[in-house]
Amino acid sequence: MKKSNTIKTIAGVILLAVITVSFMPAPKKITIKGSDTMVIIAQKWAEVYMKSHPEVTLQVTGGGSGTGISALINGATDICNASRPMKQSEIDKLKERFGSLGVEIRCAKDGITVYLNESNPLKELSIKQLGGIYTGKIKNWKEVGGPDEAIKLYGRENSSGTYVFFQENVVKGDYAASCQTLPGTSAVVNAVKNDKYGIGYGGAAYSKGVKHCLVKRDDKSPSYAPSAETIKNGTYPISRYLYMYVRNRPTGEMKNYIDWILGPEGQKLVVEQGYFPVK
Amino acid sequence: MNMKKISLSILSLGMLVFLAPVHSAKAQSPTDTLAPQVSTLRDKISGVEERLATAEADLAKLTKIKFSGYVQAQWQHFEAANVFPSNYLTIRRARFKLQYEPAKGVALVLQPDFEPGNFVVKEAYARLNETWMKTFSLWAGKFNRPNYEVEYSSSDLECLERSRVIKALYPGEYAIGAKLEVTPPRIPLKFQLAVFNGNDGQTIPDYNGTNQNSADNKDFDNYKDLMGRLTYAFKLGRWGGLTLGAHGYYGAVRATTDTLLKSDYTKDKVVKVGSALSRNWVGAEMQFYADILGGLVLKGEYIMGVNAFPGFNNTTSSTSFTSSVNATKDTVTQTFTTTKTTSIAPNIRKNFTGFYVYLVKNIGKRNQFAIRYESYDPNAKLGGGDLGVKAYKANSNTSTTTKNTIGAAGNVLVNKVVNSTVVNNALTSGTADLAYSQITLAWNYYFDDNIKISLAYEIPMNEKAGTAGKVMSGTYSAPGGTPTKLDYSNLIHQNILTLRLQAKF
Repeated sequence: MKKSNTIKTIAGVILLAVITVSFMPAPKKITIKGSDTMVIIAQKWAEVYMKSHPEVTLQVTGGGSGTGISALINGATDICNASRPMKQSEIDKLKERFGSLGVEIRCAKDGITVYLNESNPLKELSIKQLGGIYTGKIKNWKEVGGPDEAIKLYGRENSSGTYVFFQENVVKGDYAASCQTLPGTSAVVNAVKNDKYGIGYGGAAYSKGVKHCLVKRDDKSPSYAPSAETIKNGTYPISRYLYMYVRNRPTGEMKNYIDWILGPEGQKLVVEQGYFPVK
Repeated sequence: MNMKKISLSILSLGMLVFLAPVHSAKAQSPTDTLAPQVSTLRDKISGVEERLATAEADLAKLTKIKFSGYVQAQWQHFEAANVFPSNYLTIRRARFKLQYEPAKGVALVLQPDFEPGNFVVKEAYARLNETWMKTFSLWAGKFNRPNYEVEYSSSDLECLERSRVIKALYPGEYAIGAKLEVTPPRIPLKFQLAVFNGNDGQTIPDYNGTNQNSADNKDFDNYKDLMGRLTYAFKLGRWGGLTLGAHGYYGAVRATTDTLLKSDYTKDKVVKVGSALSRNWVGAEMQFYADILGGLVLKGEYIMGVNAFPGFNNTTSSTSFTSSVNATKDTVTQTFTTTKTTSIAPNIRKNFTGFYVYLVKNIGKRNQFAIRYESYDPNAKLGGGDLGVKAYKANSNTSTTTKNTIGAAGNVLVNKVVNSTVVNNALTSGTADLAYSQITLAWNYYFDDNIKISLAYEIPMNEKAGTAGKVMSGTYSAPGGTPTKLDYSNLIHQNILTLRLQAKF
């Protein structure tokens, strides 16, 4: 009798455990893909969030804003990180595939930093000069008040949102053929760090080991470095929003995660990583 | 100083002289050994950098070329009794698109279409984008006519095929012409103005009934068709968006006979052969995107206007010979009879209406359901009871001439030549005037980025003709069966089931 009661109890506990486990919510997996500018902060967000929400799995990959947007359109990712707004042609493709216009969420601000080698004596450049340098019209540092040396250009691949943003707002034309294409902002920083006469551009969060070039709107304006203040008050000329895109209004775990990113904890991480809060 | 000491000194001196260079050589060796190696490495790196620059330049050219395409293989089952075989596998579309951007603002596009036993160039155009305001673009070549469903990629169609009214008005989708597009970067507006030859995809008979439309779609009537379309996209806050638009078509085809009929098959007027028969219509479109339960689309279009169909003037002749002998009169009579029959179909302009409405719902990332209701009335002036009844018939001419020819004397040879000319100038309403409505149900499963599986069921519903139009055409027989005509006074069961696999890249 005692033995059968024990067996029944054990069987009951096992059965209860099985039922409980089966009704537990399955681990939620959210994929995030896109901007290389945002990949570090995105990984940080994911890492911190998963610690407090172990039931959620967040998978973060880079590839560039263009790659992320394509993945959003094809259904290969849940959230797309982008350092540029979606183009109308991309919204049209999303409409055709999913019947959706997409939802844009501004999650941080960034100042596009122009990197110079620390030994380069040049301190500031105007937007027009930067455009001339990156279109190849200005080929020597002496033309902009620097040493008499050829300028070596470093930039990003065309799937990068940073590439597109810099082209539309600074270069305003075609990049020079001599501009070396590098996969990611870290690679650009590394190249400039090792090239005395190199120049590159990328997010402010990556600029360790290189000098920030002060940027001025035009020859008559004062020059500024990217900082929380200059980006907030708009004095730094090359600032932008960083975006997350989802196909539909987020619900469930995705909504919780995005709300967390836009909340104080997520925005604190933004500042820690060298970006600027969205508000 | 003894000799021993002198010898030692000389020996020491000699050793110093001998060893000093060796010592200094040993002292220089690390730098000297490394310097050539560094120089060699530097040269190698320069060489690699040069080759890399060349490779990057070549790669930059290659990135200007984009390839895309898709293949649609399908199985269809036809429930109509007059279709044989009732089911078969086929390749619906196999298209390959090449886009090359040689310079900023310039694009060249070529899209051949490979079908079993057929190869056509579907699309071939050059596009010039203005780079200052990034608003205007000029197209020249063969491209999609400016219409929502026409421009919607065939690989993305939720119900697998376009609606009847669009297929009737814009056969083949692509046409040869030139187009101006206005798309301001910050305004959700699009304006298109295009001029076309106007004959692409159509069957237009000449005087003899031969299709004037050649394989290369050269213009044959000197009348260009004009098309314009304007759309504006509104954002509805967080709930979605609404796009509204309108388009118009202003064109003409050449009259091939001298009679023009109205839509009700009564005579409109006499026209000069070669004059323009206008064909004009307008359409209104709407696409509503709602972020409800994961995305919902409601879209539709309504088109109305007048379409024109040239007539034909076709003459056939036949000759027969008979011979008779009159022994009493010693006469051989030979009769040659030539009969010429001229058939004339008048030109006709028909008022039409057509519309379609889609409801599309995505379920998750992979499933999509769509339902479409459409209606197309190619002759809105005729009701079902008029079909097969309304007709135009001019007075037929029948003339007979007889001519006798007397042959040589002695053996009298009589040649009779009889010419008969019959002219039929008539046109009767029929299946070409039947209105159709249709419901299409479709399910699309996106296996991954490149593979889609679709299942669609089409339920066409024909307009019911009156008793007079009961059997207008469509004699059919299954192999070994009895020839039967379709009864258009009833709903003809002609549903179609399609299962399609699409691979896209």
